[in-house]
Amino acid sequence: MDQPQPILKVTQLSTCFRTDQGEVTAVDNVSFELFSGESLGIVGESGCGKTVTSKSIMRLLPEHITRFKPESRIEFDNANLLALGERAMREVRGNRIAMIFQEPMTALNPVFKIGWQIEEALKYHTKLSRNQRRERAIEMLRLVEIPNPDQRVNEYPHQLSGGMRQRVVIAIALCCEPDILIADEPTTALDVTIQAQILRLMDELKKKLGTAIMLITHDLGVIAQVCDRVVVMYAGQIVETASVHDIFHRPQHPYTKALLESIPKSGKQEHGKRLPTIEGIVPSLFDLPVGCRFHDRCQLAEDRCRDEMPQLTTPHDNRDVRCHFPLNETS
Amino acid sequence: MIRQMWNSRAARKFRRNRLAVAAFVVIAFYLLVGASVLLFGLITLDETGERVGMKNVPGFFAEQRAEKRMNDCEYFLDIVDRALGKRDPEEALAAIRFGRLDLIDKPVDDIREIVDQGWKIYDELAEIDDLNEAPGTLPRLGELQSVVAELFPIPTGWDGFIYKLQMCLGTDRAGRSISFRAIYSIKVAFQIGMVTAVIAVALGSVLGTAAGFFGGWVDHLVTWLFTTFSSIPNLVLLVLLAYMFAGTVFDGTLVPVYIAFSCTFWIGPCRVIRGETLKLKELEYVQAATAIGFGRGYILFRHILPNAVHLILINFSLLFIGAIKSEVILTFLGLGVKSGPSLGIMITQSRSEVINGFFWQIGTATVVMFILVLAFNILSDALQDAFDPKHL
Repeated sequence: MDQPQPILKVTQLSTCFRTDQGEVTAVDNVSFELFSGESLGIVGESGCGKTVTSKSIMRLLPEHITRFKPESRIEFDNANLLALGERAMREVRGNRIAMIFQEPMTALNPVFKIGWQIEEALKYHTKLSRNQRRERAIEMLRLVEIPNPDQRVNEYPHQLSGGMRQRVVIAIALCCEPDILIADEPTTALDVTIQAQILRLMDELKKKLGTAIMLITHDLGVIAQVCDRVVVMYAGQIVETASVHDIFHRPQHPYTKALLESIPKSGKQEHGKRLPTIEGIVPSLFDLPVGCRFHDRCQLAEDRCRDEMPQLTTPHDNRDVRCHFPLNETS
Repeated sequence: MIRQMWNSRAARKFRRNRLAVAAFVVIAFYLLVGASVLLFGLITLDETGERVGMKNVPGFFAEQRAEKRMNDCEYFLDIVDRALGKRDPEEALAAIRFGRLDLIDKPVDDIREIVDQGWKIYDELAEIDDLNEAPGTLPRLGELQSVVAELFPIPTGWDGFIYKLQMCLGTDRAGRSISFRAIYSIKVAFQIGMVTAVIAVALGSVLGTAAGFFGGWVDHLVTWLFTTFSSIPNLVLLVLLAYMFAGTVFDGTLVPVYIAFSCTFWIGPCRVIRGETLKLKELEYVQAATAIGFGRGYILFRHILPNAVHLILINFSLLFIGAIKSEVILTFLGLGVKSGPSLGIMITQSRSEVINGFFWQIGTATVVMFILVLAFNILSDALQDAFDPKHL
């Protein structure tokens, strides 16, 4: 198999915010690649920079307080997205890279019919006629498995359930056939059965349309269902990148391992034993510890971890880890 | 298109609300009246100023006190008598005219005879102390009135109809038709309400959304503007602006009122809509719209404004009514409408009448305003419910 070209290549992305207490680096030196037709999961606790990474790619962060470090590059379609002008960026947004948000309840404009909202995106990015747009909207609704799409196009968001709304949001995101779909916690607000349906739908659409998916979540269960590769983030940095199989079976970073251990497992759980959690909280970006950022929560931390920041190393093919003492080294 | 609107969900919801439909009919009627005055001259300014009959005649042709009837007869006889005493009585008599009420077309001698007959009865009655108590006086008074009616026959046909309309709500202290003045006032009220509400809401929503959406120096500027404006007591600003226009070409027109109201009224909608925009712009569908690739202007007009439209509607109806009421207050203070009838002028003028126990003018103006304001409140409520997609 020859080496495929990545469709999106993020290199040394550092996103800083100016705040009253000084500048903070919310995303620190993050590099990853996204290949066509692949789903990449980005996982981590709240506040570890997942959303900022995705919004940096879309350039959706408030411009007057955001600064990208000069070495940051987001390469897409032979262009650096960070250097694009606003007008060129608008061509990319929605058309080439689409994004769906966490909260389906507020992700649709309540005063417009859902058909109108799908057509709106088409109107902006394509040259389809009115009737074609309407047909396409119905087709998209059918694609996201909404029953009676010809009637549903004339309904308002409040007439749909949360799961239905998220399907509509996905339809809007995919209607212009983007190359990349960034899904920022798309299922967090949904209940588990709907969540499974939505994830299965996204997986099918990925196969059908060949769209690369970047899935941001804090739920490793979600990752297991749809992702091919996983990026684990902690305190603004990537701590581990690996295939989904490796992450679940051979985690190398203690943080990844701790995350896996805190997933409730049916059957396997020893009776009467508390579910393990990771003690402590993600360090504040204003007050990052010296050395490894995870050391004060890590059970395996040694002196070296407290003094020296580990670099991202590549112990095996296709996987990176940021740890002085990676686990499962031998296997 | 019209069929589509008629069958739309909002229209169906609106039609189910009986009260709202009634309010709509009332406002449509007002609007029709106002528009016909404005566009087709249904009632001209001259017509509202002309004397159509005796002063302070009560409405609905109600029976009046005997003394008042005596005085009215005396007034008519006196006018004719004076004309008869002129050097050229025929010309003087021809000049006598009260709106649609004309002196009978008879030779001078015949008229003199009728007038003399009238004075005879009048003198007879004038000697009686209490007209209501003495026997036989009231029929005699009726005779006197029929003599006067002979001099001034009530017109028939179209003119008669108009005369009845003019007199149906009585006359003010200058003998002008209250009903006609009220109808003309509706036009003035609609003008003031519409113009100020449109300007103020447009100004307020544009500044408010811009301030909320763009933030930064735009927000600072707008906030500074409306805090400065609202720190000046409303009435003082209105007085100031009203004085500013005294002596200019706009003096005596409605323009000073428009400007004074627009300058103060935009603050309310601006504040509310700025707040709403601040809220809306953080919502995910606005971010999602950015993620689709829309520009900021497009998002502002297609995603933020439509979601604030209920506020714009409510503010419009509030300001519309507010402007009509403020006109009354300002005019009462002598700073609003200067000439021509308006609700404010009518109420101001009825001050002296009310002391004398004549309520027809103030009553008419108040009822006209009350119904308009009430209907508008009901309508704006119903419209809000009807257009709100979140309520069934």
